[in-house]
Amino acid sequence: MKILIVEDEPALRSSLAEYLRQDGYVCETAADYPQAHEKVKLYAYDCVLVDLTLPGGHGLALISTLKADNSRAGVLIISARDSLDDKVLGLELGADDYLAKPFHLAELNARLKAIIRRRQFQGQRQLLFRELSVFPDQALVLVRDEPLTLTRMEYNLLLFLLANPNRVLTKVSIAEHLWGDDADTADSFDFIYTHLKNLRKKLQEKGVDNYIHTIYGMGYKLSST
Amino acid sequence: MKLLATTTRYYLLLATLVFAVGSVVLYYGIGLALREEVGEQLVNQQTAVRHRVQATGRLPESVSGGELLLSTAAQSLGLRDTVILDAVEQEPVPYRQLSFPVSAGGVRRWVTLRKSLLETEDMVKMALSVMLTVLALLLLSQGLLNRWLARRLWSPFQQTLQALRHYDLQQQQPLHVPVHTSIDEFSELNQALLQMSQRLAADYQSLKDFTENAAHETRTPLAIMQAKLEQLLQVGELPPAPAALVGELYTATVRLARLHHALTLLSKIENRQFPQLVALQLEQVLLNRLFQLQDFIEEKELVVTCQVQGAPALQMHPALADSLVGNLLQNAIKHNCRGGRLHWVLTPHELAIRNTGPALTQEPERFFERFRKLNPSSESPGLGLSIVQQICRYYGFSVHYTFSVPEAEHTLRVKF
Repeated sequence: MKILIVEDEPALRSSLAEYLRQDGYVCETAADYPQAHEKVKLYAYDCVLVDLTLPGGHGLALISTLKADNSRAGVLIISARDSLDDKVLGLELGADDYLAKPFHLAELNARLKAIIRRRQFQGQRQLLFRELSVFPDQALVLVRDEPLTLTRMEYNLLLFLLANPNRVLTKVSIAEHLWGDDADTADSFDFIYTHLKNLRKKLQEKGVDNYIHTIYGMGYKLSST
Repeated sequence: MKLLATTTRYYLLLATLVFAVGSVVLYYGIGLALREEVGEQLVNQQTAVRHRVQATGRLPESVSGGELLLSTAAQSLGLRDTVILDAVEQEPVPYRQLSFPVSAGGVRRWVTLRKSLLETEDMVKMALSVMLTVLALLLLSQGLLNRWLARRLWSPFQQTLQALRHYDLQQQQPLHVPVHTSIDEFSELNQALLQMSQRLAADYQSLKDFTENAAHETRTPLAIMQAKLEQLLQVGELPPAPAALVGELYTATVRLARLHHALTLLSKIENRQFPQLVALQLEQVLLNRLFQLQDFIEEKELVVTCQVQGAPALQMHPALADSLVGNLLQNAIKHNCRGGRLHWVLTPHELAIRNTGPALTQEPERFFERFRKLNPSSESPGLGLSIVQQICRYYGFSVHYTFSVPEAEHTLRVKF
């Protein structure tokens, strides 16, 4: 799985590359528009992360280039300008998703996976994790081929954990993933805990181990071992 | 009072005063001059009478343009004023008379020459009435002139005033005033105003640029902080104490990012960076937002009821409509009590959101202030209602807060 990261800020670029490499992606980076343009012309990528404000050009032009070349690559915009117009324009040009800076790496990872999943498996899209199989199209979760009934919130929570296995997910990133701008409407941390407790219970009732570990002071982690 | 009216008032006052003094002086002056004149005429007649007596030795029967009286009794000599009752009109008539003795044919007689002063009075009256007519004409013409002047000469000033009234700094357009007018003072005024508006626009632009740049530039370091901390969290062998520190640091960073997001939104609204208008269904926006907030509503076991009495015809930026509704609903949920009620009413003219909750300890006027929180230790930045107020101001809506004591219900009402 090959990813191109187009981001002019070196510190952020290295973090993104390192985080995604740990998930087994092959990551290439570009620091400015000419470099990025050259790379998308020469190589094929599964997904391109594009910052909109770049030295030497605009990220939107890069998306247009990709679309004009009928590239198979998914496009995820990461922009420091939290502007609705940019978002609308980017999505109209054919970008798959839009993420405003600052963002949670776990959130970026989840969105990236969703894009790749949508683009790669045309018919059957399936997530496998130990005894679990998840079919995101049908919102169906199977434990050893037996269906598991989850509430919407539990399902979304599980999907977010599955997108970031073996990683510590902070409560705040989970809250923002689940509720976005509404995350601070209530004491969402307690709230996550309640949903997580129910999810664990349902999984244990199906006879699977407790995958979801609480990491003290930090958050939760879906463990594959 | 208008400037022109004020100057006119002074002018008219002065004119009236001058005319009054002038009239008095004229009245006495003309009267005096005419009496002198009549006196001279009488003296001339006296000379004529004496010559006649010397030449003919007889007294004349009459004189032209006057009366002549003869008497044998002695009269007081010299010029005198007298009043004689007019036999026909039964009115006293003022006369000027001159008496002198004449010896004709050895007999000494006293001659009195008389001239009526009635004509002189008529003349004075005439002069006065002319004066008054001129005064009246002057006043009238001054009034008319002023009205014309006000319309014509002051029209550049009115234009400038109009331009100033409609001037909006946030529209970033220079003031539209003519630099050259027929009046130098107005041209100078317009030039000064134009320069001022250009300076203001430049200052405003640089301030806006600064805010935008600051907002943009702080985003990147925030993103780096957040990413690096998240990476740090993934270091497996992190001992619990530093791990907790990193966790707290991460939460604080996210709070800072949220605060930044809210403040940027506020400054964007203030800078009117949401020009796009879309006809939208507010009911749909409300229902969408309520659906997104379903978890929080269920968790607090709130009873949500609604009453839709028509749809307002609104033209808004979709992001702002969403933000307005979202913040109002979040507020109604956040400050609600467990098992409380949330009732919303939508009519063509207003949206009211009512929720149960503990009474406020602070005065409601400060409710919309920035960073105003019911619970100071709350993690939320306390900008929600400021954003609501700012959006309402942007679209010319009004927002009011009321609290009804018996039901302990808070109502926020947005009037379109």
